[in-house]
Amino acid sequence: MTLLDDEVLGALLHELGDSYAVPASGIADTLRRVRRGDDERSDPGPTARDDTGSDGPAPHTASGMIRSHRMLSAAAALIVLLALAGGAAVLGSTSPAPKTAVGLKPLNRALPPSTRHTPASSDSSAAKSSTSAPATRFGTAGPALGAPASANAPVTSSSPSLPAGAVGQPARIEQTGSLDLTVPRGALSSTVTKLTTLASTYDGFVANSQTQSNGSAGGAPNASVTLQVPVADFSALLAQAKSLGTTSALTTKATDVTGQYVDLQERITALEASRQQYLTIMAKATTIGDVLAVQAQLDTLQSQIEQLQGQLGVLQSETDYSTLTVSVSEAGRHHHRSPSPTVSGIVKAWHDSLHGFAVGVDGVIRLAGPALFALLCLAALVLGGRLTWRRLQRRSL
Amino acid sequence: MEERLEDWLEEGYAVSYRTACLILGNQADAEEAVQEAFLRAWRFRDSLTSVPSIKPWLYRVVVNSCYSKLRQEIPHRDRRADDGPLSSLAAPDSDPAVCAQRSEVADTVLAALQRLPVSLRVPVVLRYYADLSERDIAVAIGRRQGTVKSRLHEARRRLAADPSMVTLAGDGAVDDSVEA
Repeated sequence: MTLLDDEVLGALLHELGDSYAVPASGIADTLRRVRRGDDERSDPGPTARDDTGSDGPAPHTASGMIRSHRMLSAAAALIVLLALAGGAAVLGSTSPAPKTAVGLKPLNRALPPSTRHTPASSDSSAAKSSTSAPATRFGTAGPALGAPASANAPVTSSSPSLPAGAVGQPARIEQTGSLDLTVPRGALSSTVTKLTTLASTYDGFVANSQTQSNGSAGGAPNASVTLQVPVADFSALLAQAKSLGTTSALTTKATDVTGQYVDLQERITALEASRQQYLTIMAKATTIGDVLAVQAQLDTLQSQIEQLQGQLGVLQSETDYSTLTVSVSEAGRHHHRSPSPTVSGIVKAWHDSLHGFAVGVDGVIRLAGPALFALLCLAALVLGGRLTWRRLQRRSL
Repeated sequence: MEERLEDWLEEGYAVSYRTACLILGNQADAEEAVQEAFLRAWRFRDSLTSVPSIKPWLYRVVVNSCYSKLRQEIPHRDRRADDGPLSSLAAPDSDPAVCAQRSEVADTVLAALQRLPVSLRVPVVLRYYADLSERDIAVAIGRRQGTVKSRLHEARRRLAADPSMVTLAGDGAVDDSVEA
């Protein structure tokens, strides 16, 4: 790599620099201004720029001030924006509101478009929560059935009054429930019998029944009975079932399937109309080819109609009859579905440790986003501050 | 301190002016820059008590004033009327042939210098014209000494690679000029 010799370069620059003629009045004017303390801030009088007749912009004091103010304004705006963004990030990470909003989506998606409008006030409130929806619907008749039930929540014995359907017909509600009962020792079989009788009382039936004389792992005898009764009698059945023992857990769920029901009906109606059209065409068909073609279409339509009718029948059955699953266990022993209380201290400590580890990882992941954001903000501030500091250092001299 | 500064301003005006000329490439701008620099220096003379040496401090003021000119004013206006080549810079008592040759060398060197970026031009001028040490240059431009060293090296490399300087060296004009 070729470099200019220091001596040569120094000589060239000295010769070049020394060849500039120093203005005779330059030092005198400058020193005169210096001596009288004259500067561009206190005295906007004639300056060297005026003397040279420059056609350049105004003296840089004004532009510099504007630039300085602009820079400060930009810095202030940046800080305010960062503060706002940081606040939003912090609030967003702690606010539970998004969870509620997310929870709404499945319900809205579950309902077909025909039922998303709100013909009754109960529907609008039903959209607020999947668990509170049936509570609102049944709320006029008594306490909420679908609300998250505590173990000893009072349940009314009166039948819930179903609201009008979303499309001018009775609402179609799928009502299901789960009840854990604890009964005295030796009362298991009699309780199961009473539950079976209850189903008959309300014009229902026993869909499933399981009894274990010796529970799992040597536990107490337990039984599980699934009852299906008309929807209107669900709350009465639930109240009667609860009276048979001590309620240790209760879960109820109601799902509005009116939209699906009406949708199926409409599709079946449309397909039947099409089938009728094809039958008319079939009557007018003269050739074998035409008859076969129409017949193929009729077969397809018939298949679709029967499929939809089957779905409609299932939906009708599910909404005509509510399902209550009662798990019965004897007192003094724990039901097989309950968490085992016989875990040793070491096992419990291990589970607690795992839980703590998961919580810790969760916390680290939650904090990583805001921390990264804060670091980026800090880096931006440091960079901006450094640049500003350098600029101010230059301007101050 | 005020008297010392005033003396230095008086003594250092010529070299400051010529330094600014080499940095800015324009005498009128250089005159304004030096005047503004001296006024600034006078305004901030109180800070001289905390400065170990007045020379790099004052050069820093001059350089900053030149930076300010380059950044704020010069890019936004047409070239000044006296931005032409340094045709009348040679000593009046020189031989016309020598005068012409020196003028040509001066124009070539000035053009090559102006083709350098400001970040390289300033250290070169401070080092090879104002005869500041690398440490003083570091103070004057507000950078580390290592940065100054690398910039000087890069500036010398670029000047040596500049086509006009290569031609000048090939003609032997550089040596003649230096010897003269």
